[in-house]
Order: sequence, then C-alpha cells, then structure tokens
Amino acid sequence: MHHDFIDRYSRLDSPVHSLNPRAKIAALFTLIIVCVITPPKEWWPFCIYAAVVVIIAAASRLPARYLLTRVLVVLPFILVVAIFVPFMHKGGPSFDLGLFHVSREGLIILWGVTVKALISVSCLILLSATTPFDDLMHGFERLRVPHFFTTAAAFMYRYIFVIIDEAERMGRARDSRNFHGRWLWQAGVVGRMAGTLFLRSQERAERVYDAMSSRGFDGTFPRWQDGKMMAADYVFIAMVAATAIAARLVVLWK
Amino acid sequence: MHIPDGFLDLKTWGTLYGVSGGTTAYALYKVRDRLEGKKIPLLGITAAFIFAAQMLNFPVAGGTSGHFLGAMLACVLLGPFEGFLVMVTVLMVQCFFFADGGLTALGANIFNMGIVGGLFSYYLMVLLKAPLSRWIGEKKALLSSVAVFSWVSVVLASAACAIELVISGTVPFNVTFPAMVGVHSLIGIGEAIITTVALVVVLQSRPDLVDAYRGPALSQTATAGEVA
Repeated sequence: MHHDFIDRYSRLDSPVHSLNPRAKIAALFTLIIVCVITPPKEWWPFCIYAAVVVIIAAASRLPARYLLTRVLVVLPFILVVAIFVPFMHKGGPSFDLGLFHVSREGLIILWGVTVKALISVSCLILLSATTPFDDLMHGFERLRVPHFFTTAAAFMYRYIFVIIDEAERMGRARDSRNFHGRWLWQAGVVGRMAGTLFLRSQERAERVYDAMSSRGFDGTFPRWQDGKMMAADYVFIAMVAATAIAARLVVLWK
Repeated sequence: MHIPDGFLDLKTWGTLYGVSGGTTAYALYKVRDRLEGKKIPLLGITAAFIFAAQMLNFPVAGGTSGHFLGAMLACVLLGPFEGFLVMVTVLMVQCFFFADGGLTALGANIFNMGIVGGLFSYYLMVLLKAPLSRWIGEKKALLSSVAVFSWVSVVLASAACAIELVISGTVPFNVTFPAMVGVHSLIGIGEAIITTVALVVVLQSRPDLVDAYRGPALSQTATAGEVA
C-alpha cells in the first residue's frame, strides 16, 4: 500500500489548504450536520450544499478524479441497504411498473440517503485531503478532542502503513503456497495471520516505545508552529455555515 | 457495517452520540491511571493492527466475503475498556480520514461496533467463561467462550445496526432485519474462527499479552519473531 494514499494531496498550495484546520473542521462539520437534518422532500437545498462542496473542491485544486474515486466509498452501503427501499416501502402513493410497485415515499427516502451520504462524504474527504494528518490532529486537539485519541490516532497513522504492508506480505506468502480461500473454514488461516500480525505489531510497538522513551518521549508530541485563526478562516466559516444554515431555515419557514 | 451520513434521523444519531460519548468518557476515566507512558503508543499501534486486520477479507459463501471486525479480539487482548477505546480510535480515523462511516453516524457506529460488539459481548463472554473455567480449565474455557461470543458480537452489532436504520424510518424491518442478521450470522462464523485461532497463536507465544487469560504461563519458548 502506498503510504501516501490519504495524504497524497494534503500539502498542495491552495486557498483551502492554507486555511486553519479548525476553520475547516468547524465549517465542514456544520455543513454535514445541516445537510443531514434537512428533510429530503425539497431538492433545492441539496443543490446549494452541493454547490458549496463543488466550490471548495474547485478552490482546493485537488484532482477531480482522485476526489471521485474516494467518494465512491459510500456506494456499497447505499447499494446494499437502500436500493430496495422504493420497492419495499409500504403505504403512500405508488407507481405500478408491471412486476413492481415503486413507492413514491420510498423513492424520496432513497434520494435523501443517497444525496446526504454523497455530500457528507465529500466534505469529509475535502477535509482530510486538504489537511496534513498532524495539522488535522492538532486542530482536533485544540477543539477539545481528548488527548488520548489524538495521540493514539497519531501513532495509529504512523504505523497503519507498516502493518498493512506486513499483512500484505503475509498474504502473498500464503497465496504463493496455494491458498485459494474459497470456503469459510479456511478462515482459520486468516486467524493465524491475525494472531501473528498482532504479535509482530505488539513487539514492534514495544521496540518503538523503548526507542522513543530513550529519546525523551513524555507522552506528548512537541509542536513548533501553532496555527492562529486568521480573518480568512473566520470568513470561510461564516460563508460556508451561513449559506448552509440559511438554506435550511428557508426550508423550515416555507 | 459502517453507517454513512444520511441514513439515520436526528433522534437516533443524537441519542447514540450521547450513549457512546458517555461510555467513552467513562472508559477514559477507568483507564486513566494506566494511560501513562507506554500505554498510549501501544494502544495506538494496536489500533493500526485492528485497522489492518479489518482489511483481511475471508470468504463466506458464493463469492461474497466478509471482513473481520476485531472488537472482541481487542477486548480480550487488551482488557474491555482499552479494547473499546482502540475501537473508538479506529472508527474515528476511519470516519475522518477514510470517510468510512459518517460523521453524524459516528456515535451509532461506536455504539454498534464498540459497545454492543465490544464491551457488551465481552462481558457476556466473561459470564460464560467464569463457570466454564472451573470445569474444563482456564485456557479451554477462554477459547470456547471467545468462539461463541465473537459470533454473538457480530450478530448483535448487525442487529443493532438494522434496528437503528428501521427506527430512523429508512428501511422496513421485515426485509432489512432478517437480511442483515442472516448475512452476519454467516460472517460471524468467520469472525469466531479468526478470533479464536488468533488467540491460540498469541497464547502459545505471548500469554502475557492476553488480558483476559488468567491461567498459568504456558510454554514461553519462542517469541513471534523467532516463530516467523
């Protein structure tokens, strides 16, 4: 696995990249929450949310292809869970399509979950793709996320790729010995891999910790620059949040 | 099983945020004395291990595959609250950096995979293990109760997920609940096999790393590096 899978574009130079992580977290989380609590009966608020997302994406200079591939991560859940809803939903008016009844309310539910999932997942991807991991963690820490999680996640991030590579090497060794993995009882092999992987990761952790404490690690990561919130950051939060909340309020009053 | 944003309504995700947030705060309070120095790096790297182990697909039937959840394994190896916190870390990183599981659904995902599939199933496992260990010995009791309850943990977690989707009015109960629970009772078999076999491997070489194992030290002749 390429170690820069998530962070590949997080150090580009663009107006979005240079915003304070806290501003991006506040603005995009507001947009997600407002989007999720908007009733799906009206379609135009979602166009406004999507427009905000597209403007931020364009300003971020991230390759569109990269963003689109990462947005696809939600598709399996939508396909498995929600695609059947219009055919199964009872009550309310429905259209008759010969073999199937397509429920109008069911269609609205499917449209709602799909558009909300896509907009929210785009926001999360924009956040992580425009902010280096350390800065994002520091932003969360400044927003009072417990120290445990930011530190544990920092270690997790440093070692995810090492351990995934280890797992891939074990998988290759297994496959080269004619494992075909077609039946459930062959899960035992995966169990042995998981056990070995755990042992190796723990022993690596112990070595890493010893090395770190011999260099004076005291449980916290030192920070050199402490990003201050600038005028541009407040403007960004105000614009994104105000647009989203305004769209939501208009729906409420209509 | 990671629920994206938009599938749950406000009352459901709000309530589950409260429950998961409260449990997380309690877990941090419970382990606060043990969190100094060594523990955080160790738990962080264990979180990376769970994340990598979740990428190990195993076959279920007819070309479909399930993936490992790891909540029970984490609780058994590290202790219930440490295991729960590792699952929370994994779910947070999956949500914020891989967009796997939604932001508003994070509370629900922590509830399903950390509380129901982790803490709750762990304590059910302990309830079975305690009487069994007097009867068939600590090691066999641990392995057999872990086998049973890692299956239970996956099935319960999927049931919780299905019920949340139904309560939110997203999907009808009579279709989704049997489908979710049915598929996951198959996936659960894989989970049980992987968890138990992984535990056997760890018990063989480093029983000191298994928090739930209270028996005598087994043969400690080789470390994983030498075995591998």
